[in-house]
Amino acid sequence: MATSGADLLRRIAAGDREAFAVFYDWYAPVVFPLILRIVRERADASDVLQELFWEAWQSAGRYDPARGSPEAWMVMRARSRAIDRVRSTRRRSSTFVAPLDDAAAAVPGSERARDAAELAEDRGMVRSALERLPGPQREVIELAYYAGLTQTEIAERLKQPLGTVKTRIRLGLERLREVVQASP
Amino acid sequence: MSHEPFDTLAAAWAVGALDGEERAVFERHLADGCDVCEAELRSSAEALAAAARSVPPMIPPSQVKEALLRRITATGSARRETLPPRRLVWAVGSLVAVLAGAGFTATFVATRYEARLGQVAREAAALRASVQRDEAALREQIAVYQGAVDLLRDPATQIVLLRGLGPSPRANGRVIWHPVAGGHLFVANLPAPPPGKAYELWTIGDAAPQPAGVFQVDGSGRGTYRIGPVAGGQPVKVFAVTLEPEGGVPAPTGPMVMASVK
Ligand SMILES: [Zn+2]
Repeated sequence: MATSGADLLRRIAAGDREAFAVFYDWYAPVVFPLILRIVRERADASDVLQELFWEAWQSAGRYDPARGSPEAWMVMRARSRAIDRVRSTRRRSSTFVAPLDDAAAAVPGSERARDAAELAEDRGMVRSALERLPGPQREVIELAYYAGLTQTEIAERLKQPLGTVKTRIRLGLERLREVVQASP
Repeated sequence: MSHEPFDTLAAAWAVGALDGEERAVFERHLADGCDVCEAELRSSAEALAAAARSVPPMIPPSQVKEALLRRITATGSARRETLPPRRLVWAVGSLVAVLAGAGFTATFVATRYEARLGQVAREAAALRASVQRDEAALREQIAVYQGAVDLLRDPATQIVLLRGLGPSPRANGRVIWHPVAGGHLFVANLPAPPPGKAYELWTIGDAAPQPAGVFQVDGSGRGTYRIGPVAGGQPVKVFAVTLEPEGGVPAPTGPMVMASVK
């Protein structure tokens, strides 16, 4: 009897604007921090968010609940649209390299990452799921998922063999699944 | 079973890192149809979605939603006229369970669910009929205190603390909660509601908040209430209290005055 995201998408597919407003209120606060983390600029993140939900409005009928949750559907699209935005920005301006540098700065072991994690714990905040991965695994997943690097680019950047990078990605994802499943 | 190297390729593909010849090989393999890889990618996508949810939620600038609603209003009717009727078959059955994110602190709970509580009120029309049936069933179970001691003997029983928010920062309370039997709410330091108003308790799981009963407090700010089990035994992640018309409402409309502390 409870309304689910899948119910909302079915109503959106039928042109229900109220359902769309509710769907936005449920999922925008979840995908917005992800988009912002990838594109860095709040104005860009707002643009990406608007296009993402516009696309959801238009393509809600293609959502298939058998293939995954509405949240996974939205998060996957949010990540991919945000990466597209960073790439097109970078093409327009060859000097625009901030996302990569920031992503590197955010990996475990760097001062900024450690400060942020300690600050979070001081405030009694719960560490995010990725922060609970072993450093080397978290690093490769963050470089791929947030900075949009391919496995070859990650290997070059970290000066590690490609095979090591592949293994870390796989182990990191396995660990991530355990972490999120163990959460209450 | 020699499914390797596709397990490793699937992991890199899931985070968008697969490139070159390997990417072509993997995508051909997927196109040929592989249940193992599909399940793997689905599971990775759910884990990444759960990771996104484990970060504190952020309310985006309100202009984004306003722009979207304007866009939809401007084009929505045209869209429905030009598109052929959709004949989609919707899979029956349970959704992939939405995984609980890493526990939120009370602040995050408040941020996240206040937004939801306010918005969900607009779904009232669709939910009203079923919720009212539930509410009637819940009201029959008003037997405050009775069974509380029995509940406490059950190892499955949890004690959930509630903290005052916004208008009633000094309020506190607890819920003695059993996932099957329901439970009891005890509150203190909650100001008496204005005339015509009462407090309404909500249980929040993976979907919209469910009404769990209307209660009043006495002159000293104390109140108790017997909470019925949640329909379908859905797990409850958050208990919240809002100020509502004294007859109760099927979906929250008033300010949130208390919420459970993770
Ligand atoms: Zn396969």
